[in-house]
Amino acid sequence: MEIESALMKPLKNAVETDNLRKVFEIKQGLLRRNAKSVVAVEGISLTVPAGQSVAFIGPNGAGKSTTIKMLTGILKPSSGTASVLGLDPWKQRSKLVRQIGAVFGQRSQLWLHLPPSDSFDLLAEIYGIPKNDYRKRKALLVERFDLGRFLSTPVRKLSLGERMRAEIAASLLHRPQLLLLDEPTIGVDVIARQNLRDLVCEWNREEGVTVFLTSHDTGDIESVADRVIVINHGRVVLDDSLSSVSENTLIEGKTAGLEEIIAHLFNSAASLPMQNCISPG
Amino acid sequence: MKNSIRQIWAVARVAARSNLAYLGEVASRTFFLAVILFIFLKLWQATYRESASAVIGGLSLNQMLWYLTVTEAIYMSAPRLAQQIDEDVRSGALAVRLLKPISYPLYCLSSALGERIVRFLANFATGAAVTFCLVGPFNCSPAAPIMLLVAVLLAFVLDGLGHLIIGLWAFWLEDTSGLLLIYTRLSMILGGMLIPMELFPDWLKSFVFFLPFPYLVWGPAHLFVHSDWLQFAQLVGLQSLYILLLLAVVNLIYGWALERISAHGG
Amino acid sequence: MWFSKILSYLRLARAYIKLNWSMQMEYRGAFVSQALAMFLNNGTWLAFWMLFFSRFPVVKGWEQSDVVTLWAISAAGFGLGNAFCWNLHNLAAMVSRGELDVWMLYPRALIPHLALGKMSATAIGDLAFGYFIYIVVVRPDLQHFLLFNLLVVAVALVFIGFNLWRGSLAFYFGQAEVLSEQWFFAMITFSTYPNCLFDGWMKVVLYTLIPAGFISGLPVEALRDFDFSAAAFTWLGALGVLASGAASFELGLRRYQSGNLLGMRS
Repeated sequence: MEIESALMKPLKNAVETDNLRKVFEIKQGLLRRNAKSVVAVEGISLTVPAGQSVAFIGPNGAGKSTTIKMLTGILKPSSGTASVLGLDPWKQRSKLVRQIGAVFGQRSQLWLHLPPSDSFDLLAEIYGIPKNDYRKRKALLVERFDLGRFLSTPVRKLSLGERMRAEIAASLLHRPQLLLLDEPTIGVDVIARQNLRDLVCEWNREEGVTVFLTSHDTGDIESVADRVIVINHGRVVLDDSLSSVSENTLIEGKTAGLEEIIAHLFNSAASLPMQNCISPG
Repeated sequence: MKNSIRQIWAVARVAARSNLAYLGEVASRTFFLAVILFIFLKLWQATYRESASAVIGGLSLNQMLWYLTVTEAIYMSAPRLAQQIDEDVRSGALAVRLLKPISYPLYCLSSALGERIVRFLANFATGAAVTFCLVGPFNCSPAAPIMLLVAVLLAFVLDGLGHLIIGLWAFWLEDTSGLLLIYTRLSMILGGMLIPMELFPDWLKSFVFFLPFPYLVWGPAHLFVHSDWLQFAQLVGLQSLYILLLLAVVNLIYGWALERISAHGG
Repeated sequence: MWFSKILSYLRLARAYIKLNWSMQMEYRGAFVSQALAMFLNNGTWLAFWMLFFSRFPVVKGWEQSDVVTLWAISAAGFGLGNAFCWNLHNLAAMVSRGELDVWMLYPRALIPHLALGKMSATAIGDLAFGYFIYIVVVRPDLQHFLLFNLLVVAVALVFIGFNLWRGSLAFYFGQAEVLSEQWFFAMITFSTYPNCLFDGWMKVVLYTLIPAGFISGLPVEALRDFDFSAAAFTWLGALGVLASGAASFELGLRRYQSGNLLGMRS
């Protein structure tokens, strides 16, 4: 299997969605006769240029995970279209996931009782990375993520910061064009956290990996993201560049920090777009 | 002495009550027993038919199934006594237990007893319902249930002591599950759980009655299907003898365990 | 094209087995004791049957060697089918907890990839046990041994397909895990008792709903009489169970992906 990214023609948009909608029919009652419709995602239209770094956030139950699942082909949209890395996630999922990398802060991709090196070898096999490419890529990642010291130590013996470094490196092994990071710094100490953020930024810049970050940590967002998209009640309530949001947003006439803005949006009962709740300066 | 009895009663009562709450087990237990007893029925039906005899080992087909119902009820009610001690020792919860005014082995035994009685009665009720559907009612003498209850109680004490002895090895061994497995499997085979002792080959019969295993399972079940006062007395006598013996062993081992704790700081 | 695909999955299997094995070796003691525990467990049942057959040499045309063969096939087939596909055993729980999603992010077919994720030490014990008793107790000649191997693979496929049936339940029912466990228990139990004991509607059940007949019936006959048609039917049944298992899982997965399930977390 070839490493496709080198051969593909340059992609303009990593993600394009048009009115993506997802309605869940929750069957209730003993015989599951009564169906209740729950609209999880209500018409999301986004365009994410390739190489952008996006913070994709929202309170729990806001439709965030549902949207991501639709973008990765796990869930079938009720209506609307999506194109991720030029592919239809639903119809071309196996092709798509070859080019996606994912890191879940709360679930390890690495085998806990074995050294990271073993997990890397397995991933190479899963993604079908040719031996030579794998060797070079692994060496590069080990060097850049500074994994050399503990490459042969069982993962469970590593500090959380070290483990997350290894996790992110693992997710980049197959040269994905899109990287999903879900709470990558949760529980990690301050210094290690900054280190992780720097690494993600570097990689985003150098390899042009599109980054989708989900994090409740505003520090992560500020360090890593170019753009902030906030989802609440199944809709996009904020979609702007990070600099715009930070500099120009007022809440009730006063300049607000990113954290306050996000908190305000999360708490907002209405699902109206930003302009009606907050006045940009 | 009176204090100990009160303690035993109190602890046993609490354990029994907490297990009554697990009524959700009824359905799965019923299914479990239905499958097993059904299979046994088929096996013994075929066996009786081919032996061209209505009685095998002194038991009719009906009696055989009821025998197996009792043994299953007894076996399935086994407590987590040994595992609990293992966990206590490993987690350090032992320290808390040792602070209580009741002796640790006595505490373990009583709570296991309470739990076991409830589970046995539940298992027996469920199993009886299943067996009733399969082979019809059991014509037992009025003395049978009483004999069963007494014999079962003593069997549980005896088995509890057995589990206790194994559990106490947690003070020295890394893992007692191996010992426990051997013990439970021996009880299964040599205790007549699957096949009554009457049908054992002679060479086995010659020495198995010197071991405590038959008195854990076969004894009470046998009494239920063959209510005989003489055999009842014999069984109770033997069970009591073994209980006294094992009590002495438990005392000894527990003494060593306590020494070990004070030597190693727990 | 498909040949290289199969090769790729075989390589993947090898990589997973290597990793799983390394992990088991990290905790070598636990691995060995778990495998041995299976030996002891299974050995107990063998002891029961030996006791039984010492008293009743033939039942419904089956002799002791037939039951030993039954246990050998059953244990080895279960071991093979489960040792390296242990994730399928807990599939219902995985589906209920939404753990499938992560596996769907990999560029590999879901079922094979997910299946290979975990290995089971106890199942390896079963595998070893099956082969051990077949070689040592039954003492087959070469042609029987070759047939045995063929049938063990078929039985493994039955168990894998059955696991897929069980796992699919979670796509359709809320309490799937409980149902799945009970179904599993029934399958395991019926797989270890001679199929000849059952007739009529029960026999039908054992070749459909609880496909234990393809384990405790046909293969044993095939080996006893060196009967190729029985072996062929075993294989047909195995492929049928596997295919329907895969189909039911795929259908359920489609349902899952439409999101029409209780407890879909957004």
